[in-house]
Amino acid sequence: MTPVLELRGIDKSFGPVQVLHDVDFSVHLGEVTALVGDNGAGKSTLVKCVGGIYPIDSGDYLFDGKAVQVHSPRDAGALGIEIVYQDLALCDNLDIVQNMFLGREQKRGLVLDEDTMEEMAARTLESLSVRTVKSIRQLVASLSGGQRQTVAIAKAVLWNGKVVILDEPTAALGVAQTAQVLELVRRLADQGLAVVLISHNMNDVFAVSDRIATLYLGRMAAQVKTSDVTHAQVVELITSGRSGDLGLTNGVTV
Amino acid sequence: MRAGPSQEEIRRHNLGALLRHVHLSGPTSRAELTSRMGLNRSTIMALTADLTAAGLVREELPRETGRAGRPSLVVRPESARVYVFALDVGVDRLVAARVGLGGTILDRRETVRRRGTFSLDEIVGPLAAFARQMHRKTRADTVCVGVAAAFSGGVARGDGVVRFGPNMGAVDVPFADEMARRLAFGLPVMVGNDANLAALAEHTRGVGVGCRDLVYLHGDVGIGGGVIVNGQLLGGHGGFGGEVGHMVVNPKGRSCGCGSLGCLEAEVGERALLESAGLFGSGVGRDAVRAVVDAADRGDIGAQAALSRVGDWLGLGVANLVNIFNPEMVVFGGMLREIYLGSAAQVRSRLAVDALPTCRDNLRLRTSALGDDATLVGAAELAFAQVLADPIEVLARAGS
Repeated sequence: MTPVLELRGIDKSFGPVQVLHDVDFSVHLGEVTALVGDNGAGKSTLVKCVGGIYPIDSGDYLFDGKAVQVHSPRDAGALGIEIVYQDLALCDNLDIVQNMFLGREQKRGLVLDEDTMEEMAARTLESLSVRTVKSIRQLVASLSGGQRQTVAIAKAVLWNGKVVILDEPTAALGVAQTAQVLELVRRLADQGLAVVLISHNMNDVFAVSDRIATLYLGRMAAQVKTSDVTHAQVVELITSGRSGDLGLTNGVTV
Repeated sequence: MRAGPSQEEIRRHNLGALLRHVHLSGPTSRAELTSRMGLNRSTIMALTADLTAAGLVREELPRETGRAGRPSLVVRPESARVYVFALDVGVDRLVAARVGLGGTILDRRETVRRRGTFSLDEIVGPLAAFARQMHRKTRADTVCVGVAAAFSGGVARGDGVVRFGPNMGAVDVPFADEMARRLAFGLPVMVGNDANLAALAEHTRGVGVGCRDLVYLHGDVGIGGGVIVNGQLLGGHGGFGGEVGHMVVNPKGRSCGCGSLGCLEAEVGERALLESAGLFGSGVGRDAVRAVVDAADRGDIGAQAALSRVGDWLGLGVANLVNIFNPEMVVFGGMLREIYLGSAAQVRSRLAVDALPTCRDNLRLRTSALGDDATLVGAAELAFAQVLADPIEVLARAGS
């Protein structure tokens, strides 16, 4: 199966500092790909390259098997790539529907088409089996951390996204809400989307992922099937870039 | 030699099949039923007419489709009219619910069950009272077509006697007869093992829809399970199959309520988790288990170690099941949902090491979609089984 999104040999430097070295990364529809690595390994930079926030210095960017140019978040959005950042970028003073359509409001003639937006928002939340939200006209300020995360994810899915990238979606949540968000992440993939999950929590990674991509000092140490590896191996890949036959040799990709 | 099925039998089968479609998938257009059931349009029309006349479904014009042509009528289950009572007997809670055709929970009552010596009266009493309360609130034109219970214990096929329930303290309890007597609805009470029924519920309405081979693991106080093979629940000779909690994983391990040593349940159940977290005695039930997972999440190393130990044994149990049944999906329900999510790294590490690569390759590990209601939903489905097998006959009997 061709990956829906594939990066080959990506390099990225900020001035004299090279942050990504020859990184290969692929994600598949219907799967959760966990992106793990220590602080400073390059996870955020890689994601921002995917999302068109940082231009890549060299390497290939393929979407649905075809080479594409992504110069801005708008380009990435047009391909169907949505990123949910840790800060979620929701407006507290607006309600759920307004947030989900922020900047992309539906209009009927000159006025906003509130009915359509409300229906689309409700349908999206329902398709994600979200039952925790009482009213979609609730202000985001009144929502819990888990509910906010849910709204941010729903917002990403609403636009027929094919690839949804979630940056530490469970970092600030309690156990019950973490469980709900993890189940939502799994459901997104089971409904056919490609999901990239950035997380430091190995239980979260093992609970929902199909593949694990490990970055080590700006290089892709290994991209493996979750069913083939153990916790100890992944921790070793994260901390030393190598585990047995897996990973980098002398710190470089062979 | 017997000839093929009679026309009457075929019609009964088709009525049941159509009703099952609508019951499981919700409102469905006639056109869709035609294609899904592979029957002729006029046959579908005749079948829906029969079911409508019996008051089991009703037909409506769909909302605007925005397409050209005369829209196909939508067949809806009469959820508000035709219902069953579903009962759930867990170690810590008793639930009774009135569930409408189509699976909608119309009304429910719940109470806490105290642990301690087993008393049939303390279970049947509150459940019967709940059911009668809900029954009194129904309108006159409604009809109850079945009663079924999910019981945390081994239930004999056929007579509804609970043969064993180590965590409840139940031995040879004639639950079905006593329940039917106390309800006095004139209906028999069907009883099934709670985890078996939850497995069926996840298979028909939950995360396992469309999945032919599935293993469901249910955590209450102990560990139960249900194995679905090629779309059918594996019952075994006496109906006691699927007791995965009593698979011995550690022959030198902890003693189990069943009398054996090192059963999966003894190593993974509530008591094992609370004891290794040093919290045994400070609380019981789901809240106590959640407290351990929560403490582990906040960085308590004792709780983390306990969870990872339990996760390791759970992984070993799942690896054995995966090697034997090669399921497409393993579902963690009840308290195992929290335990799996909190110890997935250990569970899957064990699987990677101990399960055969061919068996684990495309395995999907999922948490229950029905959550705490899985057993109750399973009981409701058991209660609906008869009306789905022979709609007109059962309704006529219930209505009389």
